[in-house]
Amino acid sequence: MLSRRSFGVVAGLLGLAACGVNTGREGAGGGTVRHWYHAYGEDGVQDAVRRYAAAYPGARVEVQWNPGDYDSKVLTALQTSAVPDVFEAQVKVDWVRQKQVVPLDDLLGDTRDDFVRALLDSQTVDGKLYGVPQAIDTQVLYYRPSLLEKAGVTPPKAVDELIDAAKRLTAGGVRGLFAGNDGGVGVLTAPLLWSAGLDFLSDDGKAPGFDDPRAATVFGKLRELNETLLLGAPTDWSDPGAFVDGLAAMQWTGLWNLPKITAAHGDDVGVLPFPRLDADGAESVPVGAYSAMVNARSADVEAAKAYVKWLWVDKSDYQTEFATAFGAHLPARKSLAATALRDGPGKEVVGFVTSGGRIASPARWSARANTALSDAVSRIARQGADPAGELRAALDVARDEIARLDR
Amino acid sequence: MRSLARWTALVLTAALFLLPFAVLVAKGWPALADVFTYKEIPFARSLLNSAVVAIAQTVGQVVLCSLAGYGLARIPYRHAAKVLYAVVATLMVPTAVTFVPSFVVVSSLGWLSDLRGLVVPGLFSAVNVFLFRQYFLDFPVPLEEAGRLDGLSRWGVYWRVVVPNSTAFLAAIAVIDFIGSWNQFLWPLVIAQDSSTWTVQVALSGLLTAQNPKTTLLFAAATVSILPIILVFTVLQRYLVRGISETGLGGQ
Amino acid sequence: MRAIVKRANSRNTLVFWLFVGPFAIGLLLFTYVPITWSAYLSMFDARNTVTPTEFVGLANYIDILTDRAFLDSIGTFTVFAAFIVPTTVVLSLALALLVNQVTWARAFFRSVYFLPFACSYVVASLVWKMSLFPGVDSGIANTVLGWFGADPEAWIGTVEPPLYWVVLVTARLWLQLGFYMLLFIAALQRIPTHLYEAAWIDGASTGWQSFRHITLPGLRGALVAVLTLNLINAYQAFDEFYNILGDARGYPPFARPPLVYLYYTSLGSGGQDLGRGSAGAVVLALVIALATLLSGRVFRRPT
Repeated sequence: MLSRRSFGVVAGLLGLAACGVNTGREGAGGGTVRHWYHAYGEDGVQDAVRRYAAAYPGARVEVQWNPGDYDSKVLTALQTSAVPDVFEAQVKVDWVRQKQVVPLDDLLGDTRDDFVRALLDSQTVDGKLYGVPQAIDTQVLYYRPSLLEKAGVTPPKAVDELIDAAKRLTAGGVRGLFAGNDGGVGVLTAPLLWSAGLDFLSDDGKAPGFDDPRAATVFGKLRELNETLLLGAPTDWSDPGAFVDGLAAMQWTGLWNLPKITAAHGDDVGVLPFPRLDADGAESVPVGAYSAMVNARSADVEAAKAYVKWLWVDKSDYQTEFATAFGAHLPARKSLAATALRDGPGKEVVGFVTSGGRIASPARWSARANTALSDAVSRIARQGADPAGELRAALDVARDEIARLDR
Repeated sequence: MRSLARWTALVLTAALFLLPFAVLVAKGWPALADVFTYKEIPFARSLLNSAVVAIAQTVGQVVLCSLAGYGLARIPYRHAAKVLYAVVATLMVPTAVTFVPSFVVVSSLGWLSDLRGLVVPGLFSAVNVFLFRQYFLDFPVPLEEAGRLDGLSRWGVYWRVVVPNSTAFLAAIAVIDFIGSWNQFLWPLVIAQDSSTWTVQVALSGLLTAQNPKTTLLFAAATVSILPIILVFTVLQRYLVRGISETGLGGQ
Repeated sequence: MRAIVKRANSRNTLVFWLFVGPFAIGLLLFTYVPITWSAYLSMFDARNTVTPTEFVGLANYIDILTDRAFLDSIGTFTVFAAFIVPTTVVLSLALALLVNQVTWARAFFRSVYFLPFACSYVVASLVWKMSLFPGVDSGIANTVLGWFGADPEAWIGTVEPPLYWVVLVTARLWLQLGFYMLLFIAALQRIPTHLYEAAWIDGASTGWQSFRHITLPGLRGALVAVLTLNLINAYQAFDEFYNILGDARGYPPFARPPLVYLYYTSLGSGGQDLGRGSAGAVVLALVIALATLLSGRVFRRPT
């Protein structure tokens, strides 16, 4: 039987819930800057960014590590929430139009020329900069020369050669290629477009860049590749596990995994850009740069900006450590050297970036358009759907999205 | 012979049903102590949040819904039937389906990443009110009349007579609410954006859908997360079974 | 006299609202307001905003009803319901009969089958994804395949044939069978024993005959309850789908439940479009109401 006193407890509990226990809504206004990162796979990154946050003299900074679908989380938060104050992402024109992020041009000062120009451009909308690039990420095709030699194939320079190599390397429980548990849909869509001389958007950004029969051809190639791909690996494309453990003979993954991969396979490591479809296409590597951005709904935008300036503009020693100590990244600034990439495969990759680096997530390419395209590619590659029909549907969405940006 | 077949079926099925638990504990056990120092997610905090949310929601639901159910069943009021229709009509629209507009309402209240946003919208369960009303309709009238003769008010009758004689039913509803609240996922996923408000299900889901999940720790965290619920389940099972058998509800 | 009645009435009104009022206010605020707001938002261009200004009439409804992804998700989950509902009914009834027939350790078996009810869909997804059905050879399903000399499968990643359904369906069955079994056990125990005795005397010798003529009719009410609840739940699937098929990049274009679609459309990478999301919620609510009414119509009809 409930006594009067226990009803008091009940009311107290309700009150507790109603008043909120550390509601976490104050954001920077409460003197705390909330800073979101996606979950980096390299050991040590989390410790490092927490250490940087703790060292900031201007305010208390709370770092939130976000395993799982980070992009959707950011989008949900930007819609209505004051949290996070600072987050890493690549700017979308949508966010600027909706005034969800604030311009950061005044943070750079003299250092503007030190940042890699193409990166700043990729984070600029209507002449204003919305993200401070943290480091350059790129992805390449890793292979083991000894395995290729044994199978009698040469390093693939064209998409058809890649398909052929993957086929011949698939034997005895080893699959030819690993490009993610979704069969390459997530990470190969962009390089496939570029390999056919196409892109997400046209050069002026006013139209989709894949309104071309060659798009159907090239995604059909992913369908051909499908049966030689490793699926259901314990870790996804961003981790070198499958390649290190020998589950796959080749893997498409980040440059950041180079240290782990050379530690496992020594000299028996080769790197390649994504091959071209034919003479009209190009070899490529995707270039991405998560950049620090400030939420316009933050309770204290100025405090958030001051923190971004301190960490990603002023503290160049942290930036160097962040880019180079936990896996191989290229620094976002010319003055910061990447010693690990001076020779061997690392040097080759730097060459790929210089000659064939492409921005993987253009600001005018919206999340919805991207979802539509990757749905189409998934149906083509994994379910054998008709490429032309699927791409037509994706084109419709993309046109709709692009038109909306200029309304 | 038939009895042998029946027992084989029973035992084999039981083994199949227990297998997932066995796997979970076997994989999680070795790392059980590490989950609280695990850096990827604030696990201890998420357990605490889940506990606060589940307890507050259970208590709140039982108090609010039993009061409303009693009022609808017993207190003569001209428009009571209309109020009842308004409650029952909402059963046609499952709560999960309205998560988008509910998100809009909660964010307008400024309750994103706030325990209020997690707890309060879930307190008003039309199903519970309906079940309580059905139950109170069958409550013996003479007991209440005896209370009135002793000079108790409506509130006194409810509190001194009806509640003490309904503890089993209240407990049944409470157990179902607690399990539902502890295990809910979609709503906290949407509302708890800041990690200080993550519930344990949201924290686990983040790790599970991560690109490179740390398997052992994940299993250990999941093991810890089901311990409270298994405890509640085991201790209060007879109420739970009775509640479900009697009311036929409790799923969602 | 009339004054006394009147005073009593107004006191009752006050007492009624003291009891019902707190709940009623909450219901108004957290159920009626969202539903109304949803209907309102569904007629506006509400991309990235909860307070839209541009009225678009039925455009969101037209959009969503011509969006293949949405139609696919409704279609897929109608098929999913058509499969999972009868399977759940048959298996949970079988479990109930099995448990009901034993006299020794009945409570033990009932508890074991019912235990998964306490487990969250997230934890079940973890076990299914990472130990029962991972793509590696050491996964439990692949180990079993190995005993029969079959090659390992990448269960969740295999689209042709869609092996991921095996994973999703077994997880859901494990989680919910026990609950429905309890409903059936309760109903079984309400069937009077003397009916069986009478049938035995009348010469209904086989178990099947008494099952067909006594047990099944006695379960009519429970059957309708199980079917309806199960059907509504099938359309509301989210947790295990999101956690098993979803990953850090989002959700694949197959086996996408309506709620996952709504989640990505309104709040995630599908456009942050609360107008379309609200229109979708309205359509989905109508589909569920329709399916419930239809199933009630079909199964309530006397045989």
